Amino acid sequence: MLRRLLNGIHFPLVFAVIALAAIGMLFIYSASYRDPGNYEVKQVFWVLIGLGVLIGVPFIGYRPFLSVSYFFYVLSLVLLVLVDFFGHKHLGAQRWLSLGPIAIQPSEFAKLATLLAVVNFLGVHHPWEGQIKTVSVALLLLVVPFALIVKQPDLGTALLFIPMSLVMLFLWGVRKRFFIAAFGAAALAVPLAWEFLKEYQKKRLWVFLEPNRDPLGSGYTALQAKIAVGSGGLWGKGYLAGTQSQLHFVPEHHTDFIFCVIGEEWGFLGSLLVLCCYGFLFHSIFLIMQHTTDVKAKMLCGGVLALLLSQVVINIGMTFGLMPIAGLPLPLVSYGGSSFVMTCIALGLVLSVYRERSIF
Amino acid sequence: MFTRFHFFQGFVFLMLAALGLGLFHTQVVRGHYFLELSTRNHIRLIPLEAPRGRVFDQKNRLLATNRASYNVVAIPEDVTPEVYPLLAKLLDMPEADLRERMSAGREYPFAPAVIRGDVTRELAFKIEERQPELPGVSIRVDGVRYYPYGETASHVIGYIGAVSRDEYRDLDHDRYGMNSMVGRAGIERVFDESLRGWRGGEQIEVNASGQKVQVLSDRKPEPGEDIKLTLDLEFQKRIMDMVKGQHASVAVLDLETDGLLAMASAPGYDPNIFVSPATSEQRMTVLKDQNSPMLDRGINAAYPPGSVFKLVTALAALDLGKITPETRFSCNGSFRLGPKSKPAHCWFKAGHGSINLYEALERSCNVYFFNVAKRLTPDDIAHYAHVLGLGEPMRLEIGRLAPGFIPDSSWKRAKFHQPWYQGETLNMAIGQGYVLVTPLEILRLTSIIAKDGLVVEPHIVARDRQFVPEKPRVAIQEQNLDVIRRAMLQVVESDYGTGQLARVDFDKLAGKTGTAQAPPNKSHSWMTGFFPYKDPKLAFVVFVEHGGSGGITSARLVKQVLETWKELNAAPVT
Repeated sequence: MLRRLLNGIHFPLVFAVIALAAIGMLFIYSASYRDPGNYEVKQVFWVLIGLGVLIGVPFIGYRPFLSVSYFFYVLSLVLLVLVDFFGHKHLGAQRWLSLGPIAIQPSEFAKLATLLAVVNFLGVHHPWEGQIKTVSVALLLLVVPFALIVKQPDLGTALLFIPMSLVMLFLWGVRKRFFIAAFGAAALAVPLAWEFLKEYQKKRLWVFLEPNRDPLGSGYTALQAKIAVGSGGLWGKGYLAGTQSQLHFVPEHHTDFIFCVIGEEWGFLGSLLVLCCYGFLFHSIFLIMQHTTDVKAKMLCGGVLALLLSQVVINIGMTFGLMPIAGLPLPLVSYGGSSFVMTCIALGLVLSVYRERSIF
Repeated sequence: MFTRFHFFQGFVFLMLAALGLGLFHTQVVRGHYFLELSTRNHIRLIPLEAPRGRVFDQKNRLLATNRASYNVVAIPEDVTPEVYPLLAKLLDMPEADLRERMSAGREYPFAPAVIRGDVTRELAFKIEERQPELPGVSIRVDGVRYYPYGETASHVIGYIGAVSRDEYRDLDHDRYGMNSMVGRAGIERVFDESLRGWRGGEQIEVNASGQKVQVLSDRKPEPGEDIKLTLDLEFQKRIMDMVKGQHASVAVLDLETDGLLAMASAPGYDPNIFVSPATSEQRMTVLKDQNSPMLDRGINAAYPPGSVFKLVTALAALDLGKITPETRFSCNGSFRLGPKSKPAHCWFKAGHGSINLYEALERSCNVYFFNVAKRLTPDDIAHYAHVLGLGEPMRLEIGRLAPGFIPDSSWKRAKFHQPWYQGETLNMAIGQGYVLVTPLEILRLTSIIAKDGLVVEPHIVARDRQFVPEKPRVAIQEQNLDVIRRAMLQVVESDYGTGQLARVDFDKLAGKTGTAQAPPNKSHSWMTGFFPYKDPKLAFVVFVEHGGSGGITSARLVKQVLETWKELNAAPVT
């Protein structure tokens, strides 16, 4: 029975997920064992749910998800609008929606819903016929949730839409000249859009791109994060022996800045281990992509990969100053239920592509 | 074959390799540098509050500014145990309190905690002198709010207070720190966003003894914007002196700009006591005071208008054609609706005899208006009251809600499940019963009459002269407004008028008095009007809670107010 249940599961991918989740729980404990909250215990619970989802989604398959994708898409737009009215503010941004005891983050949901909707739309249109119309509609589908998320403002999550869209269009087969035209249009649109922004919005964007403009807020965080990661050296200070992260120099060290704790306590070797786990995960996704001929499935896997990769690059990059400080979790490692479960759903869809590889 | 797929694959692993290289550079190549920074914990973050914008009167006199205050601050991580008893002695506070202050929430580790704010200069110097014995403790000079004229315009300017822990959590931390002050009332509250400016700060690297080695990065605080009001400080101050000890509201409007020249509410409070933690006792006294000094009687309290409301009744009857200015009714001192009803009295027991509308307003005859009321429905009167802005929201910057109330028949039915009785119309016609207004609403009404029906919205923040919005008119015929203005002139200038005591010798004044019954206490005293009668420049309202007769208490105040205005605006001798 169990054998039949697990038949058709791509184990290397599941293994990478478990390895990353295990590292996550270890360091959530290290980051927060002095604080109340028992985050590592809660995370165990979320990891179990996530793994259940990861194994469960392939049994539904990705096609049913695609067929209801427009419904998900509209639902996520409604949630994004609702959060504008009823959401509660945290640190000046309106991101969370309370549904009884649980708070959900519609932007997290919107990412996946948009991905599915765009894949579904592009999948039924062949790239050889009428690219202009198809690409315009696809871009429209992407821009609406993007704009709503920018408005919250949650610039970090909004930013993820860009690589995701590029990868999907690229894999779909958009012509090179459209790619160039799109870049040109974006470059022209930026100064125009800039004029429409209010003074405080401009300020926020500047600080986002250049944290040193705000030595009190993200500038300070950026510096402290860099000190934490850098001070780990080659070997690290040892598990539970970090000083920077433990002393609260770095905020949100069990969520967005978990990598600081890893880098400080396990050093460059630990960082490399995490990078290798991600490399292995991405490699598995590539293998699965090679095994399918369904264009939709390819775009779906590519979109998921793009989302994960950009989160990894932004999250790890911001700890040593390569990227701006964007409140994004490190996928599968950071503390947080909705991020972990959402990532598992996305990877579950990838697994189901592998399971259905023989259906041509 | 090299496909798009391979390109994508290559790109992904290139990105991961870039991350790896970056980490190698940070952790292995520069690892020692960061390790040293981390073991010494040598980065300090010093937040710098932006100076709050100032508030000026129309002649650029300061109503709210900032003064320097000396704060005793300490970085708890740098404080040694010997410091506690010594500092406790110097500050004359229990050591337990001191420890509590040290461990209070801070925005960052190594950020200074405020041990005591706003200490005297002497104490600050004493602590500075003993600095070597007090590691980690220092004196920081900050700007704090200062209101040079105390309670003079307290209700207009408002006051500020520290953000609470709960508020802080939900605020934008770029602009609000844990100990930031926010406006709590008046101009300070409404314009908090522009007054507050932007916080700045600097990251500094310090050596082992906590001294600054270098500034790593900084951001200068951006001061808040100044605000200029239409108030005339000197005028306001003189008016506050006139009404000292009473419960009163006086407001004067410049009819040319619709800006308020004075807006006084007595008793006032000293907003300075909300600034410094040292004055918490005074704060409690003010908050618990039975005289409610925090209440702005001009906009936040509603009272029966009494005879002032006859202006509305008269306009309603004239405009609906129910009477003409020459319509006469006879007053013998009392009035009966029907043969069996209880008589209603005129304030003048002997009766006014046969009088027309001018005389009725001039002498404020109740019986005349009872007769007028018989020809009107309550909804007629309510309609004209709303047209003239009673019970309608204000657009005044510091208070948009007008708590005044104008009853009508449907309200009565909904509220009491009873029809409207005609006797209640009589009461309404003379501004008693359910009718409630705020002094500022009455000021707006008078201004509309004075400006021949142009809609007036009083404001208090000075505006650009160029900005002239299109002025709508109220739906009342001009000749009827003219009748009312002439009647108001007679109120003051006729020898039978109820407002004679307000008469001034330098020009003609028009007004209307009101004495609103407020049993069991003394009546409320009202007077409103405009000045001069020809080409009015000012409109005013004077209200004294339980002040007795409007023709005495308020009329006398009006005279003083106008004489003061004349004195302050006398053409300079050349």
